[in-house]
Amino acid sequence: MSAGRSVAMGALLCGLALASGAGCARTVGLDVRYPEAGVNRALLSSVPPQRVGIGPVVDRRMDTSRIGSLPENGRVVVTRRPVTDIVRDALAVEVSRNGHAVLPDAQDVLLTAEVEEFWLDVVVGRSHAQYVGKVVLALAVVDGRNGERLFTRHYAGTKRREADADAKDVAREVMDAALARTLHDFATDPKAVAAFGRR
Amino acid sequence: MKSRAVAVLLVLMVVGLSGCASTAPPEPTARPFEDLRRLAVVASGETTFAVTDHNAEPGRTFDEILKWGSFGGWWWKPVADLAHRGINWLLQLNRKSDVSEGLGDIRPREVVAAAFASTLRASGHYDQIDTLTAEPIGDDRRSADAIVRLAVPAWGLVRVRESDPDLHSAFADARAELVVPSTGVVVWERTEDVTDLQRLPLATFTADRKYTRQQLMEVLERAGQRLASELLYARSAGL
Repeated sequence: MSAGRSVAMGALLCGLALASGAGCARTVGLDVRYPEAGVNRALLSSVPPQRVGIGPVVDRRMDTSRIGSLPENGRVVVTRRPVTDIVRDALAVEVSRNGHAVLPDAQDVLLTAEVEEFWLDVVVGRSHAQYVGKVVLALAVVDGRNGERLFTRHYAGTKRREADADAKDVAREVMDAALARTLHDFATDPKAVAAFGRR
Repeated sequence: MKSRAVAVLLVLMVVGLSGCASTAPPEPTARPFEDLRRLAVVASGETTFAVTDHNAEPGRTFDEILKWGSFGGWWWKPVADLAHRGINWLLQLNRKSDVSEGLGDIRPREVVAAAFASTLRASGHYDQIDTLTAEPIGDDRRSADAIVRLAVPAWGLVRVRESDPDLHSAFADARAELVVPSTGVVVWERTEDVTDLQRLPLATFTADRKYTRQQLMEVLERAGQRLASELLYARSAGL
């Protein structure tokens, strides 16, 4: 490995280790979450308030053991909480911020999710790194009374960012942003909104 | 008497200060713009097609030379960085010409603007959306509640994964601002970086022009949809 690239790679490792608090472990743990500060009432609030259940969030990823790995040294990147929990919490925040009640039972609407991708790619250049976060979810709106599936669609969010290789929070931030974009697309989808109000 | 007055003053100061500390500053509320229902969408600005690599080469090679040669000193690193950038720029020019052949008729701004307008129309929350090629004047300007200025500073291919071979994706960087024409006030702005979900070797893009064209069109449309989605998401903010 070249001197320049070694420095960039070392800086990247330090940054990620600081962000994850993992020290020199073989894994880097990121505290990915849907940033609540940016959650708005969107089109999803234009239908009458519903009692919403967040159904099972199923992990359909090919590799559920990690969300990425660092180039060359193969260090594994993981989330501190299970990806399914992160997605479930994100959906609950989005739905409740839009004026609906998230309840464990007696639901008008059930929202189910399948996680198809939750991945971070890092490309290390000479003095900086490029981070690309990618989240793909299949979301379904189900009638809570009879189980009829009202609507299903795939939502994909990506976030790409260049930063110094030692920028410690960038990896988490791109994953947060990719997740947020996925949720924003859902909350502004007229067909998803119509399904929420149709039951 | 004097000491009592000082004590009272001190108590008042402490109470006053603690009052200041406990009073949280008002949270900034985003400006809602739900009442802006007639939009003029204008696409403008420079657009650059790029094949971006973020590659450590050829700096790696320079560093290897440095290890074995008699070079060194404080001046070497900046010179090597400059040379690295220069050579990568030339390499990117070469790759760009390989990939961009046959894409000359794609108008990135127009594609993004069309997808943006189409997504907003489908939302049913706007009474009128006109897509224009220049700033509205006269009646066009008067009939718009707001002007959306769109730009696509960069689009092309970007290396997203180091592997053998490296993998690239189509990308588009777009931005939008929502301006009230009567006041010139910008009420919303957003920059979106969209990276396509497909990752393929660069050779696939250079060998299959039709596919490359399709991927680039899709990522540009996606950029327009994303900007529209974020505008819809933000329009009720703070309410």
